[in-house]
Amino acid sequence: MPTLEMILNGKEVSAEVEPGDLLAHVLRDKLGLIGTKISCGEGECGSCTVLVDGLTVTSCIYPAMKAQGREVTTIEGLATGGRLHSIQQAFVDVTAPQCGYCIPGMIISAKALLDENPHPTRQEIRTGISGNICRCTGYYQIVEAIELAAQRMAEEGGAP
Amino acid sequence: MWDDYLFPQSIEEALDMLEARGGDARIIAGGTDLALQCQRGRNPATVVVDITRIPGLDQIEERDGYIHVGARVTHAQVAASPLIRSRAAVLAEACGSVGGPQIRNVGTLVGNVVNALPAADGAIGLTALDAQAEVVERTGQRWTPISDLYAGVGRCTVDSCQAMITQLRFKALGDGDGGAFERLAKRKALILPILNAAVVVGVEGGTVQRARVAIGPVATKPFVATNAAEWLVGQAPDAAAAANAAKLAAQAAEPRYSLLRGSAEYRKSMVEVLVRRALTRALALASGEEGGHADS
Amino acid sequence: MSTRVLGQSLPKKDAATKVRGSRRFPQDFNMEGQLHAKAVWSEHPHARVVKIDTSGAEALPGVVKVITAEDVPVNEYGIIVQDQPVLAGEGDKVRWVGDRIAIVVAESEKVAREARRLVEVEYDPLPVVSDPREAMKPEAPLVHEERGDSNVFRHIKIRKGDWEKGFAEADVVVESYYVTPYVEHVYMQPDAGIGYLDDEGRVTVISSAQWPDHDLRQIAPMLDLPKDQTREIVPAVGGAFGGREDMHIQHLLALCAYCVRRPVKMVFDRNEVMIRTGKRHPWYVKYRTGARKDGTLTAVEIEIISDSGAYASTTVPVLEAGTSFAAGPYVVPNAKVDSYAVYTNNAVTMAMRGFGTTQSAFIYEMQMSKLAEALGMDAVELRMKNLLEDGSIGLTGHKMPQGVGIRETLKQVALAAGWKEEQGRWSKPDLGAASGPHKRRGMAVACGLKNVGYSFGSDDKATVGVQLALDESGRIARVTVLSGACDVGMGAQTFLAQMAAEALGVDYDQVRVAMVDTTKVPDSGSCSASRLVWISGNALVRACQAALEKRDQILMAETGETFVEAEFQFRGLSVIDTRPYDPETGMTDPHFAYGYAAQVALVEVDTETGETEILKFWAAQDAGKAVNPAMVKGQAAGGVHMGVGYALTEEYIQQEGVPKTRHLADYYVPTVMDMPHEFTSITVEVPDPTGPYGAKGVGEMTTLPTAPAILSAIHDAVGVWIDEFPATAERVWRAMQTKK
Repeated sequence: MPTLEMILNGKEVSAEVEPGDLLAHVLRDKLGLIGTKISCGEGECGSCTVLVDGLTVTSCIYPAMKAQGREVTTIEGLATGGRLHSIQQAFVDVTAPQCGYCIPGMIISAKALLDENPHPTRQEIRTGISGNICRCTGYYQIVEAIELAAQRMAEEGGAP
Repeated sequence: MWDDYLFPQSIEEALDMLEARGGDARIIAGGTDLALQCQRGRNPATVVVDITRIPGLDQIEERDGYIHVGARVTHAQVAASPLIRSRAAVLAEACGSVGGPQIRNVGTLVGNVVNALPAADGAIGLTALDAQAEVVERTGQRWTPISDLYAGVGRCTVDSCQAMITQLRFKALGDGDGGAFERLAKRKALILPILNAAVVVGVEGGTVQRARVAIGPVATKPFVATNAAEWLVGQAPDAAAAANAAKLAAQAAEPRYSLLRGSAEYRKSMVEVLVRRALTRALALASGEEGGHADS
Repeated sequence: MSTRVLGQSLPKKDAATKVRGSRRFPQDFNMEGQLHAKAVWSEHPHARVVKIDTSGAEALPGVVKVITAEDVPVNEYGIIVQDQPVLAGEGDKVRWVGDRIAIVVAESEKVAREARRLVEVEYDPLPVVSDPREAMKPEAPLVHEERGDSNVFRHIKIRKGDWEKGFAEADVVVESYYVTPYVEHVYMQPDAGIGYLDDEGRVTVISSAQWPDHDLRQIAPMLDLPKDQTREIVPAVGGAFGGREDMHIQHLLALCAYCVRRPVKMVFDRNEVMIRTGKRHPWYVKYRTGARKDGTLTAVEIEIISDSGAYASTTVPVLEAGTSFAAGPYVVPNAKVDSYAVYTNNAVTMAMRGFGTTQSAFIYEMQMSKLAEALGMDAVELRMKNLLEDGSIGLTGHKMPQGVGIRETLKQVALAAGWKEEQGRWSKPDLGAASGPHKRRGMAVACGLKNVGYSFGSDDKATVGVQLALDESGRIARVTVLSGACDVGMGAQTFLAQMAAEALGVDYDQVRVAMVDTTKVPDSGSCSASRLVWISGNALVRACQAALEKRDQILMAETGETFVEAEFQFRGLSVIDTRPYDPETGMTDPHFAYGYAAQVALVEVDTETGETEILKFWAAQDAGKAVNPAMVKGQAAGGVHMGVGYALTEEYIQQEGVPKTRHLADYYVPTVMDMPHEFTSITVEVPDPTGPYGAKGVGEMTTLPTAPAILSAIHDAVGVWIDEFPATAERVWRAMQTKK
């Protein structure tokens, strides 16, 4: 079994993986990070979104070996200790999560968006989460949360 | 699913790896199509050869009058590339409509071609640009027109167990050129199209000098409406020309009934609409008119 | 009524764990030594199972057991009628592709998947009946020959007043034939869980669910165990929308644990959820409406044929509910309604947000929109003329109770969308210029209503408990709410906590809601019928009152006790006695509480492609008393989202009982890009005197008006009625072509 070595949420991590393992399963089943959710297993809904070198990928169809040597960020990597990331806090503050299953993927997509474009328009936010399906919220409060996060992060001088 | 996952460091090494497994190894780029296919038992492989770490395959650059796009380049990179947005915007539009952001971050333009689906947006854009692919195998390398790569729906003439496409090239659009991409789908993201159309035209001295109209999925491969394109040459680049060319394209296209995409009748009618809309924009761009620019 | 904690958009109790991703859904649990299970599903929509050969699967290394029908102590279950086999054995029938043949239990999921392919099943295919209208015919193949000689298993009749006279008096008659589509819930969390034997030897299931106690009432008989030897734990539910009301996996997990006596984990693929679990009922409807030229409704004549699919599930209550609202929130003095529930070999149809009233809202609101056009009357004005009020007589001859908020709800949404009202005359606003030469704008309104809680004599009840931890001075330090109410995303944990804080005079932060574990919390009934706020809320408020009384007694007696516990069971029937339909006239008192919504859509239709874009959307819902306004807004947005999908993009397709939409890639849930560009939510508060603090249910109401508002707006834009939907671009295009 090959060894997958990555920088996962800022830490060097290695895991024994099968060559055909998909990243979502490695994160969830081998590394115990259950925050990345599997909803469709087809790359069609974005619930499993993680960052690889800062770019969003649907980890349920992303071969784990592709993450070899890369920086991977999952939802678990956002909060610092007890303190939520600004994006997470904004989601809480505008009552965005309903069932919560799509939320980690949404937040990761939001992070990628704001990292690249700290002052997105509403349309850019929508495009940024256009690969994330939600069945509960109708997306409006999620977009609101991302707008709020952008505002707060700008006020905090770009700090998470 | 696979017994081995390999990262060649050169094209040479990739071909060696393919050869060493005698047909059991397959090239993988982004894997957004392949991973699912393997899971479902299609395009099986025991070993995958991941080309996304090979140096030199990530270029988007202009040389010798062509824009070159390497095999590692993703849809997102194409859609964001300043070079492509200014010199082949039709392709940026096409690639920007594939799937959603996550798929675009990982899926490659070359992969879009190799996957050989007639609906593939990137491939339709490339077809309108009359792009060529560099096919590299043990016996050597050659440039092949994109349209020669289709053996059937989902089947590329390039066997990914023996060969690989290393780059694409197409002539950049310049002054007097215009391109546009249109798409019709059942929702606005994360979906294959009912129909897409990409056109490229060149206007000089007030008449259309060249045109190419690509449409999908109306055949087993990207469809080139040569009748429409040939008729356009010599016409004034106006609304009437766009309309008539679109009618010709619709006459030539023979989409079939699709349970998920719609009836043949509807899709044939929409060919006229999409081609007309694309041509109207492209002709305006080519003529240097205001408002002809698409929002990329 | 002014409140301290209610009416605040406080942060949800589970929000922090959900944004961290730390909240465990059933698939996120793992137990030491767990095995993995995968089901073997029927390959035929209708067939007799001739032979099952499990030897190949059993021989695969890593397979622990292949469970078949013989291993099931009592091989039947069902949410109301036990007409479903848990596993179909040799000689049994499979009636749809969602029937199961076996469950493979193995050391790993990989082995379980491989092994299930090795289970060989020989079928004797039977003729498939896939159209309920065909299924009603005497010569149709029978789906349940053991239950009678017809596929029709319920016929509801309403005979009110003199409809022939009513039609004779009508100046205008609108007649239509509607077909509503199959849609799928697409809750984001696939069915999953673990079955195991707990420390006391109870067969325990960790799963997502809507009514854990009811699951056990089916699981216990299936295993021939007393109910207290079974247990269900619901840690989090990733959406339900009615789709988990019927058990999909809980009984399978229980069966696995019972058979192998080790923890067994099972996770459905999305493809399994898509094609092997239930859908919303499609209806085939003939609808005639008569009205006088001043807009007063005089009569309706309606025939509804509901496709129940292979099993009864909740088809009868869905049809009963939908039928009771078939004429909408309007006074209709004369009515003839016939509703039929019919078995076919299609997907089992079950509860889905609205529970029959979604289909009703579509048919009655499209009729009203057509009537408005036929009468040359404003759409809002026509509706206002006929709306039910407190004390009005409803379709089933009952008096509407106090708190009928539909007039206020419709008024607010119409005004927000730009309608003007002058002395009862309403006029639509100017819609502004279309965005291009091939675009046309349209605007339309629709309303809807449905029941809160169960109906027709059902003894709907909720038991809620509350525990108070007191400090030395007898003040409440901490509160725990004990309720079997499952929070499927709408915020049950949060609104219960807010209500408890309000009722006990403490802070929200002092209240926690215990996790749903049937051994630790009482049965609060189902998370469905938009009932939890109303019924669990009512129980909770009374439990809090009882707890406060006990606390006061402790203080007076100076016993020094620091722990108080109280429980209350609230019955819906304590408010009003609902009764079943009269078998001949359909007259009855059907429901104990109601909720209302009204919505407006501004659309733009591309006249060349038939595509519809929703520019603006207004949603008004009468919450009675909004416990948490941001959560109500979330329900409005979510309800509209499902309505947009219903109206424009979602279609679950089967042919001869064989699913054609098999993957999420084939089923088009609206993405953010498909939603109305601008969305306004208006929460109206017309108190329900029977609701806790005046609260009403809203969860389903918000999806009722959406599809008819959009389709009526399409008509307003391009002059075509779409009576069979979704109104895909092609359907709209075809209608426009036909019109030419």
